[in-house]
Amino acid sequence: MLGLSMSLSVGAAVVTVVSSKSPVLALSKSQIADIFLGRSYRYPDGAPATPIDQPEASSLREQFYNTVAGETLALVKAHWSKIIFTGRGQPPKIVGSGAELKKLLAANPLAIGYIDSADVDASVRVVDSR
Amino acid sequence: MFSVAGFGTLGAVHSSEHDADFTPSFFKPDGAGYTNDWSMAPDSLAALQATAVFTPRLSAVVQVLAQQNYNDTFWPHVEWADVKYQFTPEFGIRAGRTVVPTFLVSEARNVGYTYQWLRPPVEVYGLDPNTSNDGLDASYRLQTGKVLQTLELVFGSRNQEVAHAGQVKAEQRWIVSDTLEYGALTLHVAFQKTTLAVPYLAGLFDAFRAFGTQGNALADEYDPQRKRATILSLGALYDPGRWFVTAEGGRSNLDSVFGRNSGWFASGGYRFTKFTPYLTYGVASTNGLSDAGLGTAGLPPAVAAEAMALNDTLDTLLSTKRVQNTVSAGIRWDFMKNADFKLQVDHTRIDAGSTGALLNIQPGFTLGARYTLIGAAVDFVF
Repeated sequence: MLGLSMSLSVGAAVVTVVSSKSPVLALSKSQIADIFLGRSYRYPDGAPATPIDQPEASSLREQFYNTVAGETLALVKAHWSKIIFTGRGQPPKIVGSGAELKKLLAANPLAIGYIDSADVDASVRVVDSR
Repeated sequence: MFSVAGFGTLGAVHSSEHDADFTPSFFKPDGAGYTNDWSMAPDSLAALQATAVFTPRLSAVVQVLAQQNYNDTFWPHVEWADVKYQFTPEFGIRAGRTVVPTFLVSEARNVGYTYQWLRPPVEVYGLDPNTSNDGLDASYRLQTGKVLQTLELVFGSRNQEVAHAGQVKAEQRWIVSDTLEYGALTLHVAFQKTTLAVPYLAGLFDAFRAFGTQGNALADEYDPQRKRATILSLGALYDPGRWFVTAEGGRSNLDSVFGRNSGWFASGGYRFTKFTPYLTYGVASTNGLSDAGLGTAGLPPAVAAEAMALNDTLDTLLSTKRVQNTVSAGIRWDFMKNADFKLQVDHTRIDAGSTGALLNIQPGFTLGARYTLIGAAVDFVF
């Protein structure tokens, strides 16, 4: 039973990805959270990072922020409201789907996003450190 | 790229104290209690913000905000209007009207959706109700390992109408602030120094000066004419997601009849998915609530009566400094996307000799009163 529920949750996992041409190999949860929540503008090697979000209503988005930051989408919205309403910055650009994200990553090696692990292919690299 | 966003709070609050008004800011002329049994004025506001990104480095922001003004109108005013040049992703300078980063939630103080309380605790946030500055603002972000710091230096001035007190001028204002983030921990420290002029009391202190050396000494001590004002604050937040604890303390020295004031609070809550109950305890204290004033010995009766009237006025002013503590309990309900509903009850005990954070004090008011506030609000962002 336990094995089954574990494999189920792994099957539906959200993974953080960059272009396979990106020099970034692995990032910790907190490094990923910092980039997506506007706390960090760069990868650990100093290159500027461009985070890409999934649509506000997507369950993938909910799962992603829950996993990397332990935050609900309402908390993430509250966090960005703080930044937006002082003119300090704007939240990540949003793409419509995993396929669209992969296209964008292929065009921009500095971009970083998240997709369903089932959508991973050779064009992207999963950077979540285990 | 051009974008428009907005936020607002629609709130109503009731006070059990009918001989004075409760409102969280001295920019507002009245509130709940004496003027209205239930009042929407203390907590309600609405704002629209336009952001223009001209190039990756150059952007501009204008935010227009409507809330109860000093003269009881709700005409909107320009809350921010600045042009930002981002030299590097870490270093930027803004010119125009920008935020005053005095406290931990100062930046988003008007955006109720970003915090759990119905309103930031008055014991600390009442020390500096200013939200904007006209001038320059330099911001630098520094990442050292997992520690992220945001250093800010603000310089400028701001003239604002305060309810029942005319125009107040804050000039040569300097603020240094540092926000440190490490995982779930945020620390904030800020120091502000400004030259403050509150002209509406000039007549009173001129009358004191007519009493010679003694009157001059009192006027020099208390007249808020171009006096140096400082505020130091230190705040901390630990928020791993499911729950949070936060505490903040501040100390202001207005070097005048408004005195040295300090306050602190501690607050915590737990998030049950959509419901966040929280508790807050806040304390505000000050130096002297009264002064012996002018000596009347040996004065002709008419002059002595005038001196006594001046002493009474001074004592009344001194007693408006806030010495109180408040226990608050509330709940935030994230009932729909981009909106929340909050319910908060505050019980305030004012110390003897003080009017606490209340205004429009009526003859029937007892110094050192206790009162309860019941408030409800809907916050939204779009």
